[in-house]
Amino acid sequence: MVRSCAAKVTLAALALIYCVGCHRGERNEKLVFIVVPSEDNPFFKTEADAAAARAVALGYRVRVEAHDDDAYRQDNLVDAAIASNAAVLILDNAGADASIATVRRATKAGIAVFLIDREIEAQGIAKAQIISDNDQGARLVATEFAHALGEKGDYAELLGRESDTNAQVRTKGFHAVLDKLQGLKLVAAQSANWSQSEAFQKTETILQAHGEIAGIIAGNDTMALGAAAAVKSAGLTNIRIVGFDGSPDALDAIRAGTIQATALQPAVFISKLAIEEADEFLKTGSTGRPENQVIACDLVTRANVDDYRNFEKVR
Amino acid sequence: MSTTMQAVPRPRGAAGTLVRAVLILLRARAIVVLVALLVLFSSLAPEFLTANNLSILTKHVAITALLAIGMTFVILTGGIDLSVGSIAGLGGMVAGYLLTQGISLGGTIVYPPVAIVIVIAICVCMFVGVLNGWLVAKAGVAPFIATLGTLYIARGAALLISNGKTFPGLGGEASRGNTGFPAFGQSFILHIPSPVWMMAVLFVIAWVVAIKTPFGRHIYAVGGNDRAARLAGIRVPAVKIATYVISAFTAALVGLIIASQLEAAHPATGETFELNAIAAVVLGGTSLMGGRGSVTGSLIGAFVIGILTDGLVMLGVSEFWQMVIKGLVIVLAVGMDQAQIRLQAKLLPYLQAGR
Repeated sequence: MVRSCAAKVTLAALALIYCVGCHRGERNEKLVFIVVPSEDNPFFKTEADAAAARAVALGYRVRVEAHDDDAYRQDNLVDAAIASNAAVLILDNAGADASIATVRRATKAGIAVFLIDREIEAQGIAKAQIISDNDQGARLVATEFAHALGEKGDYAELLGRESDTNAQVRTKGFHAVLDKLQGLKLVAAQSANWSQSEAFQKTETILQAHGEIAGIIAGNDTMALGAAAAVKSAGLTNIRIVGFDGSPDALDAIRAGTIQATALQPAVFISKLAIEEADEFLKTGSTGRPENQVIACDLVTRANVDDYRNFEKVR
Repeated sequence: MSTTMQAVPRPRGAAGTLVRAVLILLRARAIVVLVALLVLFSSLAPEFLTANNLSILTKHVAITALLAIGMTFVILTGGIDLSVGSIAGLGGMVAGYLLTQGISLGGTIVYPPVAIVIVIAICVCMFVGVLNGWLVAKAGVAPFIATLGTLYIARGAALLISNGKTFPGLGGEASRGNTGFPAFGQSFILHIPSPVWMMAVLFVIAWVVAIKTPFGRHIYAVGGNDRAARLAGIRVPAVKIATYVISAFTAALVGLIIASQLEAAHPATGETFELNAIAAVVLGGTSLMGGRGSVTGSLIGAFVIGILTDGLVMLGVSEFWQMVIKGLVIVLAVGMDQAQIRLQAKLLPYLQAGR
């Protein structure tokens, strides 16, 4: 009896679904599917919001999703984009290697894929790969770091997640500048996986072993903020800290003087550019630009901090 | 059944029917929820009920369902397996290593063919399952703790294999004779994705094992009353170890499917998968105390979770609301499970009088 009842309910429901399903008009606006690593991180949130706002302004429908740096979840979200007949996928991907097959599948399904913020290790699949210049930004911030330290003293480095290409590019950029200066000595280098709490703990440990360091250079702002908190809780004041990204929290910290400088990634500009190129591509069949596009970062210090807000130059 | 219904006196019969209807709804709640979700999503999202999307949807469901099928056996014995997500990650990494790095045999590097790679990866995972089972059944470690330990061990091992990096390009190379791995999780048979076939085949086998074989009855007996089962001559440790090995096997399949779909093996693959699998099993009405439940229920539970996840994504519901809604559905489902048990107990004399 349970079974027969359930079967009847199922049948009735299927009939209802059928009726609902067949009387449906197609909507005109094309769909832009935006997938970013997370929505609870200010950088990715801003990046997603900027892209969504520009797409809506150009008359598209928009969906925003987050893959949490999980390549499999990203794969499922791309499936959803395919099933929803998305015209464009704006993707900040979950891994340079692990995303290739996923991007290829989306492209095969007829979706124009635009990669922002992070590249993949493959050419000719995405319509464009627009990233900020991590190397140039790292050199900028490292030069400012060296300047703030008077080009002498011991320093520590906090690295990003080792599997992330950006972490590697940034540390290379840092050392291209810092290793040339005889007075500066790297005494500790630890990965804090981009995380504020991990940076706090690692910095506390580093300060135990090297209380005399003059500066800490961090691969991103969240780690720089974690380091600043650890320095403060240790009661130290003379340690210079620099970060990377230009997050609103870091700009506040620069205003307050707990962080010296950061390299601001033009995330809003990149998102808008990606949407505009996608629009161009849908209308003309070409973006009119090369696939790989690198956008320069800006150095933000106390002198110019008021010119920037939310990953964008406002003045 | 219909003859007994007619035999009931009329006034009592009407009330009895109502009571029965409520009980039936409660019993079939997973199906009711499933149907409600199907109706809801297909009326709200025009693309939901297309063949393309249903194919994608079942492919996603297969991942949770495979894990849930294995997990059902473990939970039926009164255990739990928290390590399945890590085991899936480990399985993918072993396959990734063998496909891209090969095995060093006496100085030369040998690249095993895809079939061997798959078998080795599954064997490594099943070894972790044996370890789980041994810890629980022989060493007397509580299942929660034992599999929490192997959760970390397997995840650490997966990270160690590549030093935290991803193995890309699992397509293999013709010169090494190891092409074809992507077909494992990406191919279609009769327009149906291969993971769905694996889910279907495994479900049928699991259903037959649970219902029709002595081993299946032993699993229920062990979960119902460990001591009684022991006294009845059932080899309780062997049964328990077997269930963990089955669970590890399904986890291995999941890890291989994902590595094959992504054509890359990432050591963090499968994090929190164990929670989805447990949720599916519980939604399907299996008791965490063991001894009560079914593989069919777990399959329906996996569909509920899969449809909920994909449907909410298609509707564009924010990620944060998705988490809240998923949690509510799980809590409500288990709450209804308890309500059913209480209602049944309360109405037992009445129902018996009705008969």
